[in-house]
Amino acid sequence: MNEEVEASLLVIVLDTNPGQRLVRERTHILTQCLESVIAFANSHLMLKSTNKLAVLACHTRSTEFLFPPPSACGTQVAMLRQQDGQYELFTHVEKTIRQNLQQLVIRDARSGPIGSVCESLLAGALAMALCYIHRLEQELSAGRKMNSRILVVTGSADSASQYMSYMNVFFTAQKQNVTLDVCSLDRDMGLLQQGCDITGGLYLRIPQLQGLLQYLLWVFLPEPTIRKQLVLPPPVKVDYRAACFCHRELIDIGYVCSVCLSIFCKFSPICTTCHTVFKTPGPLPTKSKKKKIKLS
Amino acid sequence: MAEASKVIKITLQSKNLQCKNLHDYLKTLPTEILDRLYNHPTTCLAVYRELPEIAQHYVIRILFVEQPVPQAVVASWVSQAYSKEHNEVAQVLSSLRVWQEAAIPGGLPGWIMNSAFKRNMKIALLGGGKPWSMSSQLETDSKPRDIPYLDSYAMERWECVLHYMVGSQQQEGISADAVRILLHAGLMKRDEDDGSPVITREGFQFLLLDTPSQVWYFILQYLDTVESRGLDLVDCLTFLFQLSFSTMGKDYSTEGMSDGLLVFLQHLREFGLVYQRKRKAGRFYPTRLALNIASGQSRSQLDMNREGYIVVETNYRVYAYTDSNLQVALLGLFCELMYRFPNLAVGILTRDSVRQALKSGITAEQIVGFLRLHAHHRMVAVGPPVLPPTVVDQIKLWENERNRFTFSEGILYSQFLSQADFEVLRDHAQDLGVLTWQNPQRRTMVVTRSGHEEVKRFWKRYSKGAG
Amino acid sequence: MVNVMKGILIECDQAMKQFLLHLDETVALGRKFIIQDLDERHLFISADILETLQARVDDLMDQISFPLADRGL
Repeated sequence: MNEEVEASLLVIVLDTNPGQRLVRERTHILTQCLESVIAFANSHLMLKSTNKLAVLACHTRSTEFLFPPPSACGTQVAMLRQQDGQYELFTHVEKTIRQNLQQLVIRDARSGPIGSVCESLLAGALAMALCYIHRLEQELSAGRKMNSRILVVTGSADSASQYMSYMNVFFTAQKQNVTLDVCSLDRDMGLLQQGCDITGGLYLRIPQLQGLLQYLLWVFLPEPTIRKQLVLPPPVKVDYRAACFCHRELIDIGYVCSVCLSIFCKFSPICTTCHTVFKTPGPLPTKSKKKKIKLS
Repeated sequence: MAEASKVIKITLQSKNLQCKNLHDYLKTLPTEILDRLYNHPTTCLAVYRELPEIAQHYVIRILFVEQPVPQAVVASWVSQAYSKEHNEVAQVLSSLRVWQEAAIPGGLPGWIMNSAFKRNMKIALLGGGKPWSMSSQLETDSKPRDIPYLDSYAMERWECVLHYMVGSQQQEGISADAVRILLHAGLMKRDEDDGSPVITREGFQFLLLDTPSQVWYFILQYLDTVESRGLDLVDCLTFLFQLSFSTMGKDYSTEGMSDGLLVFLQHLREFGLVYQRKRKAGRFYPTRLALNIASGQSRSQLDMNREGYIVVETNYRVYAYTDSNLQVALLGLFCELMYRFPNLAVGILTRDSVRQALKSGITAEQIVGFLRLHAHHRMVAVGPPVLPPTVVDQIKLWENERNRFTFSEGILYSQFLSQADFEVLRDHAQDLGVLTWQNPQRRTMVVTRSGHEEVKRFWKRYSKGAG
Repeated sequence: MVNVMKGILIECDQAMKQFLLHLDETVALGRKFIIQDLDERHLFISADILETLQARVDDLMDQISFPLADRGL
């Protein structure tokens, strides 16, 4: 009689790292991105009354929830009175996100400056998002279903140093049926692109920052279930290079431990991961135990 | 003959309770009322929420476009394989006047979004404009009501109405006004002997719906009568939508509300859609019944965190863990009740009991829907399927068994002299849409009773012309 | 010329049709009522027999059904 109504959870991971090139050059970019992301988040909530939202700020030292606010602090919807014609839930979302981000930035500024180049802890933020999704799915009562997805909005570049964490996150997401979407504001990100490909999400590097909200609404608002009905940017060729475990550099050809499948760019007699001892390579590299692999 | 035709009329009439959704309802309204409704952000939100998914994305995509968008461009947003869906969606948006056709310089047909709708959607989403009427500043309530309290209040009020319908003992607490609405809705009718209201066939079906659908159906019927009470339909609808987008457990102010709306509020209070401590309290709390009211069935289970209480076993036994007379009475509509304990009623689904229900106009679908809706959480956890398939199938078989044959009154034409005559008459009847059966080999055909006159006249003309 | 007759068109499954034919042949309802046997799933019958017929079919259904559930009383 009544068809199954599914809730849809969207977790937005917003990169707020002050070290991003875009933000370093023009600080107001962050405000602009925030505006767009808030409007996008509210559009998601507007689609269905059952839709849920979470927003995470990914910073240099930590990742924090901007929405929903940690239970103790933050304003309650009940205390808000409308200032204008905006739907009060949306006002609540907007206020909470702004307030929490403000606190985060102030706290960060107090704790003293850090080195000039600092990468965002995107992998960690993704893991946190997955944990959150997992918790909500556990809390669902029997017979309900929830579609979950993660959207990363970032202006930093991905670094191979988080390679292992990224891969763990991607495959966990795939296993949990969580779609990963990435909206890159600045550079191409090979690793996150792999993640989108693995989980069936969309990757988009936006050509113009002014149109951020439009790009978000056009490409990332449709849920994975109806994306096949809409015409969306075609998938790009994914760079599937892996990072070696010794120097964290992306390589095409390398050495793989036959026991634990760790990847190395140079031959080493003992595997650093599982401590297997290899025989010294013989005169002919093709006959030796180490194996050449090719990852296209 | 007259006797037989009466039987046919009864059996052939549609038996199902039609519950319109928001869009169907809005489409019945005159366009000017619709346009006035779109002058408020809440209506736009409510309409938007109920749009098909693709339509929602169309609206979002052209929300920030100020000029008409070529229709071909909109069509290209959907992949080829789904062009049928595109046409349906475009139709829905037009019929709700969300967008209108407009020519684009250069002569291409385009769509332009209703300007009031666009403006108010933006306000709802991004802010601006005036606050909604009920959100004036209020001092903190000295005795705030929490969500569980409001829930139990709302259910108690609503069940009062249902109790009245099934004629259980508790008959006080329902006003003459509510009775009038029930009568107007055709859920109850005046008894021919003593004039007291009794439940109708539609009323039984209504009882088996889930609560949100009941509320929505009831409100629709109420809205029909709104204008005869001297209330403004647009004001009432707008207020209803505002309520539906309000927050549970939060108090709202009645300040600045017109007298008409205050009357409306008192009616809503009676059915438990809002809670007010006193008539003149100056503040009210919306309850769960009012939230997302327009979503009707689709929100059914999600918002209502009511405990299921029915266990159905494969041996057709039904256990209802409840102490409510109403719930037991509902079960009694299609179950043979066997035992009654303080917190448990045991019944059994038999062919007779189900047939009894079917005869009173309830469909198998509704019985199964009711059982599924109120299934105990243990049953839900084991499922899907939630109910034993054998029982579900059997209930449907019992229904089918009553429909072993369909019959319709008709006129049989046979013994045509030539195949050509037969074909001419058959084709004519077919064009008129009155042909129900035909067989060219035997030159026999059956037309409906209503079509007979027309076909007969045609035949006379034709045979004269031929002869 | 054309023969025109009023009546009721019945659509049913084949088994049910055979039952109706049987009723007709044995004159179980007191008289014959089938005007014409149209095809496998259609019959044309006289209109005034309908009520009796429905009652008879209900009887048949009652006869061929047996209690599914053990009442355990």
